[in-house]
Amino acid sequence: MSQHRSIASLSPGETGTIAGYRSNDIPIKVYEMGLLPGEVFTLTHRLPFNGPVCIRVKNNPNSIALRATEADLILIEST
Amino acid sequence: MTEMKIALVGNPNVGKSTIFNQLTGLRQKAGNYPGVTVERKTGTFTHQQVKYQLIDLPGAYGIHPSSLDEEVVYRVLADPQNSNYPEKVVVIGDPFNLKRSVLLYQQIREMGLPAIFVINMIDEAERAGLVIDVQQLEKVLATKVLLTDARAGKGIDELRAALQHQPGEYATAFDIPEEYTASVAQTKQITGARNNYNAWLTLSQKHHRYLPADQADELATLRKDQGINYHRLQIQETLARYTKLDQQLATAVKDTTKKRENATARLDRLLIHPFWGYVIFFALLLLIFQAIYTWSGPFMDAIDSGFAWLAASTSELLPAGPFNGLITDGIITGIGGIVIFIPQIAILFIFISLMEESGYMSRVVYLMDRWLKPFGLSGKSAVPLMSGAACAIPAVMSARTIENDKERLITILVTPFMTCSARLPIYIIIIGLVIPQTKFMGLDLQGLVLFGMYVLGVVAALGSAWVLKQVMKTSYKSYLILEMPTYKYPVVRNVLYNVWDKTMGFVLGAGKIILAISVILWVLGSFGISERFTNAEEIVRMENPGIDEEAFENRVQSERLEYSFLGSMGRAIEPLIEPLGYDWKMGIGLISSFAAREVFVSTMATVYSLGGTDDELTIRERMGAEINQNTGWPAYNFASGISLLLFYAFAMQCMSTIAIVRKETNSWKWTFIQLAFMTGFAYLAALLAYQMLK
Repeated sequence: MSQHRSIASLSPGETGTIAGYRSNDIPIKVYEMGLLPGEVFTLTHRLPFNGPVCIRVKNNPNSIALRATEADLILIEST
Repeated sequence: MTEMKIALVGNPNVGKSTIFNQLTGLRQKAGNYPGVTVERKTGTFTHQQVKYQLIDLPGAYGIHPSSLDEEVVYRVLADPQNSNYPEKVVVIGDPFNLKRSVLLYQQIREMGLPAIFVINMIDEAERAGLVIDVQQLEKVLATKVLLTDARAGKGIDELRAALQHQPGEYATAFDIPEEYTASVAQTKQITGARNNYNAWLTLSQKHHRYLPADQADELATLRKDQGINYHRLQIQETLARYTKLDQQLATAVKDTTKKRENATARLDRLLIHPFWGYVIFFALLLLIFQAIYTWSGPFMDAIDSGFAWLAASTSELLPAGPFNGLITDGIITGIGGIVIFIPQIAILFIFISLMEESGYMSRVVYLMDRWLKPFGLSGKSAVPLMSGAACAIPAVMSARTIENDKERLITILVTPFMTCSARLPIYIIIIGLVIPQTKFMGLDLQGLVLFGMYVLGVVAALGSAWVLKQVMKTSYKSYLILEMPTYKYPVVRNVLYNVWDKTMGFVLGAGKIILAISVILWVLGSFGISERFTNAEEIVRMENPGIDEEAFENRVQSERLEYSFLGSMGRAIEPLIEPLGYDWKMGIGLISSFAAREVFVSTMATVYSLGGTDDELTIRERMGAEINQNTGWPAYNFASGISLLLFYAFAMQCMSTIAIVRKETNSWKWTFIQLAFMTGFAYLAALLAYQMLK
């Protein structure tokens, strides 16, 4: 783990702003889904045993589920 | 009358199929795209003297494919020679993810296709306080923009009328980065692409399997020489478009509300709860299987006795002889064996399409991912595995949404272990014959055993997935990024279309096989060349002097069956299946049901009715009364019944599945491994069960 916090470090109910990505080699889907730097989101659910997380981008009623490994690739601004 | 080909394109979950159903009604059909088995839905309708042919393309987030589904979208839209290449595209977007939909729209326009833009679910946008400036958007997109609420049928007439709209001149929103212009020009030379953007798309594609081999080779060399990472190109394009769109759309959509606490968030607190989410999911599964068993009962009984009555009265009506036998024992019994499945299949598909329509299915993917991952599967495998509970053929096809090759292959290989509806009639009849009709802890024992058979299918699927994961050593990257849409009341029309589609697909597809096999069985069972067949009457008379007339008739009938072509085939494999507790008559069933499992019940009906003279008995009564000639016990006793249940649980008794797996994996090797593994395992399990229980 680097010193940057990622989506994976949030608890349910916490809000974050996407800052960037841990590597260049992340799925194109992340970009296409609009999980881009500057987007504000809330982590709404987490499943136990390092299961997937569920986030909701601000003003969007749909949620996006990410595996813990993908969630850890997306960095958030430190607050 | 002029004709026009229109393609519907859009992100998943935007209500694309609702619009498709609204436009075409029942004038639609499902087929496959040439070369791949991605389901192709087409429909037609006529509006103002123009006949429109509508193609419903699979959902896609962008034009860069990251799954087989998305590859189909790219291939149809990129190639004017493609038989599905549309003259116009309707891009459907949802108001909350407008940027994402416009991205796809831009890509399609820049490929050189005229398109109009539809924003669906406008009712939700209004309720949430979103204000969309249509005129502003039309200016940005240089085309007609329509607002629809397809679920209520609003805006559909306007959409029909707008199909003739000629979009205005479109200015490209993405300039190919300077460092790539040379490579793009070279690509254009290699492939003869229509414009620079199409060449750029070819250059940034992962697979080039649709291109001629020499072109693909040249491109591979080009990419290697220039050090081009296709993934980078895709990211660069997507980011550039989004950056521009942020400014362009800033004035087109106004969000007037601050806080949005919706019903979906409240429902999700329960439905994807770390504990209650699972409890609810498994309770729902149990409910579905209890419903299939109990709700279908009366319908099945009615169909069963209806066909028995039909066969008996037809037999009386027609003059006696071989033709009478063909109609009553062959065709009517065969059709009865198809129709009897309709209630269960329909009930199962009602539940599956309700789950898909309501948005619950994507929650299932989310809930199951963590638990399927250790078996080499992904949460997305949950959908093929659950659809496998209906039929392995569409289920294997639905695995195409899985992006990762290895996860997809494992999913395809293990899905046929899931308890498909073709196993259901066998299970129901055998369970009805060998499991007592009592209650166990307040639940119907027969229903519980049936549930147990489903659990067994899941265990077999996961177990073999785990084995495959250990064997297949490729290093791979797997991910899950999944949109979970808001919950919606299912549109009754969509559910009914889906249930109708799937049920008719089964009846016509499997029905053809069943009917053909029934007729073949009848022919093979009614003719023979051996001495004991042709002279059956004399031989029976000689061996049983003083037998009364009715018993004589029965003996002659069964003697004929035993020495017919069919009987010879059954007796040929009898040594192999005797240790499993079956006799040669059941052997006939095993042989014919290699084509499709469901044939077993209708085969047994044909075999037993050929061997007897009473036509009034239902299939169930006939099977219950049958005696195994080797052991002298009822043919369907507890031990042989359990053995038969296990055999059908594991064996690959379905030619259509074999064919579809070959097509989807594009590999005979995996197809044969699957066949040998499943049937071998089934034989061992059935052998063990019978030898221990008898």
